Amino acid sequence: MSDFLSGAAQILTLSTLICMLAGSIAGIVAAAIPGFTVTMAIVLTLPLTFAMDPLQGIAVMLSVYVGGYTGGLISAALLGIPGTPSSVATTFDAFPMARNGEPGRALSIGIWASFFGTLISTVVLIFAAPPLALFAVRLGPWEYFSLIVFALTIVASLVGTSVIRGMLAGLIGLAISTLGTDPIMGRPRFDFGIEMLQTGLPFLVVLIGVFAISQLVSEVEDADNVRSGRSLITGAIDFQTWKVMKEVLMRPINLLRSSLAGVLIGALPGAGGSIANLVAYDQAKRASKTPEKFGTGEADGIVASEAGNSATAGGGLIPLIGLGIPGSAVDAILMAALMVHGISVGPRLILDHGDLVYGMFIAMVVASFMMLVVSVFSMRLFLRLTEVPKWLIVPVVMTCCVVGTFALNNRVTDLYLLIFIGIAGYALRALGYALAPLVLGVILGPIAETNLRRALMTDEDPTLFFTRPISLIFLVAAMASIVWAVHNHIKSRKPTERSPDAPAS
Amino acid sequence: MIARLLSYVFLFAASGGLFISATAIPASRFEKLGAGAFPKIVFAAMVLMSALAVIDALRQIPLAAYRDFSSQTQAWVKRRYLVFVSLAALTVYLLAIPLLGFSIASFAFLFGLQLVLMPRQTKSIVIAAVVALVFSFGLNWLFAEVFTVFLPRGVL
Repeated sequence: MSDFLSGAAQILTLSTLICMLAGSIAGIVAAAIPGFTVTMAIVLTLPLTFAMDPLQGIAVMLSVYVGGYTGGLISAALLGIPGTPSSVATTFDAFPMARNGEPGRALSIGIWASFFGTLISTVVLIFAAPPLALFAVRLGPWEYFSLIVFALTIVASLVGTSVIRGMLAGLIGLAISTLGTDPIMGRPRFDFGIEMLQTGLPFLVVLIGVFAISQLVSEVEDADNVRSGRSLITGAIDFQTWKVMKEVLMRPINLLRSSLAGVLIGALPGAGGSIANLVAYDQAKRASKTPEKFGTGEADGIVASEAGNSATAGGGLIPLIGLGIPGSAVDAILMAALMVHGISVGPRLILDHGDLVYGMFIAMVVASFMMLVVSVFSMRLFLRLTEVPKWLIVPVVMTCCVVGTFALNNRVTDLYLLIFIGIAGYALRALGYALAPLVLGVILGPIAETNLRRALMTDEDPTLFFTRPISLIFLVAAMASIVWAVHNHIKSRKPTERSPDAPAS
Repeated sequence: MIARLLSYVFLFAASGGLFISATAIPASRFEKLGAGAFPKIVFAAMVLMSALAVIDALRQIPLAAYRDFSSQTQAWVKRRYLVFVSLAALTVYLLAIPLLGFSIASFAFLFGLQLVLMPRQTKSIVIAAVVALVFSFGLNWLFAEVFTVFLPRGVL
């Protein structure tokens, strides 16, 4: 109890709260810019916290962390461009909802879902950190590979109008992930003699090129529309925060399931928000009685994606606090920040520095409330973005994409890759390929390859994938997922086949 | 539909070629699977999937579509000329950044592309100039002074 009170006393000081507020705003703004990730925002914050007390510094970084997971929602909903990899699935329903004349509702649903997702993950973090951390580290490469196989079945939910093109897009993503040196031995492959391909295609450059550039140029397809000075969204903007809160709370199962998926994925080292939002979206779609509405502006899709990605913030802290193992790049930076202050992170952290751990829990809760307040009050400002004419916003956001791409590695060659990927992304979009499976393939490809090869390096017996219980559970789940997808596909085609008026596919 | 068919054929040929390249990647003495194993699995799946896509597309495309392909493509490109202008402007901008530096290249890109896209009014031109200044020189200043991230300075 004394540790809890000591932690609370350190967090609830005016200077800490002001610093946390600034961190929250910085996180939201940084993540709203395409190409700027939560990790990048935290890295930029780190040096500023050196002069602070350890808990104050960590609290500020947690504010940036929590704010960052929500900030990606803004460009995802208003521009159709995921601000961060963790908001890819948010674009599927928030963007159509905004285009249907409800940008205020799309943003509000996302904000409330993020808020509740963070709170749920903090509760799980407080009560289940040690056992969940132990579970996460017991997973070997066999379980990870089987988990990725299961995650790849998400493609079935993201294929769009054509299963074949959706699957091909997923395979293109996996193929992109094989460019550059291989992840185990560092052997060069598929660089085609081009120097900038030797390190492979950076995932964020692919994300910005495929989603942002292709979306921005497709905004200018209709010349008359652009020249008339038309804005992105026309019509009055409705903004009813409290009504939307009820709308989100009326979906308790979706909210809880997506948050728990985010916590679990966040707790697995190597996974994170970029996978959690897609998995949560996929699960919500599968559980829905009206899955066909997903992708057209369905509130359940936004709730799932935003609760899922925000919950990884708490989930990622589970192995860090429980075992001293960072679950993601952001957690590694938090760990580094603690070490700078002379605090060694490990299983004894909670025993030796109980006030710090409880302070982190309190900081998570305070940060989520701050994120909510900042988001609600700044929402009207962000919504003004939708009133800006296309001729102005398209070049400006393109410039922001260029800055985000360059700042990633400080490499000019990434800019050349960006234009190549942007053109390819637009071509794929114009040809009717779903872009989300492609991005999923790029995310999951290296994890799948690394774990497959690592498993067979540890033991050459491939039957271990089926005899290790947790691995088997994931593979059975993957199989069930495929069967479910095929069943749904056949079911959705039957009425069309029966209808004499149905157009030929 | 024919454009899609061509994309499937392209993917079939490219993945087939890359599958053959992957077989040439030497195996490792230290592991059962080498650096070429995973790409081989991926490209084999792509060959299979794109072959299915080609067959499916050939089955669905009516003969008349081949005849109209050229004229329809031309009409499609003509309708979307601003897309190609924007992509060309972005390409020139990205190639110019290492030479002119971020600020000058961004100003030229922002102002130029806005001029192409905007309704021609004095007010719009003034707004475009101000926005171009803020998001080129202003953004450069913000990153350098606040975030200590230095955007390309150029050689000219």
